[in-house]
Amino acid sequence: MNCTKIEKWLSDRIDGELSERKTRAIEAHLEKCASCRSYAASLEKIHDEATSLERVEVSPAFWEGFASRLKANLESSREERREKRALVLSWNWVWSGAALLAVVAVGLYLLLFQSPQPQEMYVFSLENSLASIYQEIGDDSELEELFNSILVESIDEYLEDSEWKERPDFLENLLLWEGLTEEEIEFLESEIKKDIKS
Amino acid sequence: MEDCSDGHLVEQAKQGDVEAFAELARRCQEKVYYTLLALTKNQQDASDLAQEAFMQAFKSLKSFKQRSSFYTWIYRIAVNLTLNFLKRRKREEGREVLNESHSVNKESEDPSFSPDERSLKKELSEKLQEAIDSLPLPYRASFTLVVFQGMTHGQAARILGCSENTVSWRMHKARKMLQARLKPYLGGG
Repeated sequence: MNCTKIEKWLSDRIDGELSERKTRAIEAHLEKCASCRSYAASLEKIHDEATSLERVEVSPAFWEGFASRLKANLESSREERREKRALVLSWNWVWSGAALLAVVAVGLYLLLFQSPQPQEMYVFSLENSLASIYQEIGDDSELEELFNSILVESIDEYLEDSEWKERPDFLENLLLWEGLTEEEIEFLESEIKKDIKS
Repeated sequence: MEDCSDGHLVEQAKQGDVEAFAELARRCQEKVYYTLLALTKNQQDASDLAQEAFMQAFKSLKSFKQRSSFYTWIYRIAVNLTLNFLKRRKREEGREVLNESHSVNKESEDPSFSPDERSLKKELSEKLQEAIDSLPLPYRASFTLVVFQGMTHGQAARILGCSENTVSWRMHKARKMLQARLKPYLGGG
């Protein structure tokens, strides 16, 4: 039997992780091998010594302090979470409000600048509405400016009535509307639908 | 609250119940703290890291699917945080590694030992503590969990995020290193 393998098994045996078969093999080997017997004895001694190293006992006051510090941290984390949640909800309102106003602006534009078309059954779709705005605007910068100003005015009006006093960043970059992903459009659409229902 | 199962408390804590989480923490804080103390050798660091671990656990409680026990989960967070902390500390140049002598030997004052024996045992326990502290971090972490916390290789493996074989191998290597270093103090054995 290889002594290197036995040394590894001796370590497993101390941790109670050795199978019976291997334990029997170790015992048979130790009877014949003085070097492994000596190694096994020193491992046992190290293990006994290590498990008898006494840990520092901390006072009950330490645990009381630990618990109250943790509780204070937990409470403040919960408060932070609530504030963040409120903030996210406010932003959701700004976004959905802005999108709703965008649709209103589109409606106004189509009403004022379009020639009467045969009426079709209206199926609400923000994505289609935005697409038709851009199609209508095309390369007409005047029209684009008009649309943007209606949009910004509407949002500003909404913001004045809401608790949200700061102008959202995206107003500085109206092209952001073009970069909306399908998921974002879907989200806005669902928010607007909820608003329309209520 | 004290009669509630861990699983029930976890569910309550997931709803934001601070008291429920505090009770969960109370149940395992000692084991967590002493493991971190064995790794950091500094009471303040161990206490701060244990606090941080509990806070991290609280914040990410929603992601805890209870596939393992809460105890294993928090232990894993705490040990990982501490290993990262120790790696950072090692990298920091010029920082003095704190090495509080936090261990004494129970038997060092045992009257059944003669003064010479007591002195030898004291020396061995001091050298053993030094030798354990000098083990490379992955070996020290395995040794701490298995020997000081009495964990199986499997439990230690789950906390350290490695296989049982790795823990078994690290324990063997750690013992080889300790044995080599302590040879002069181990007597005839």
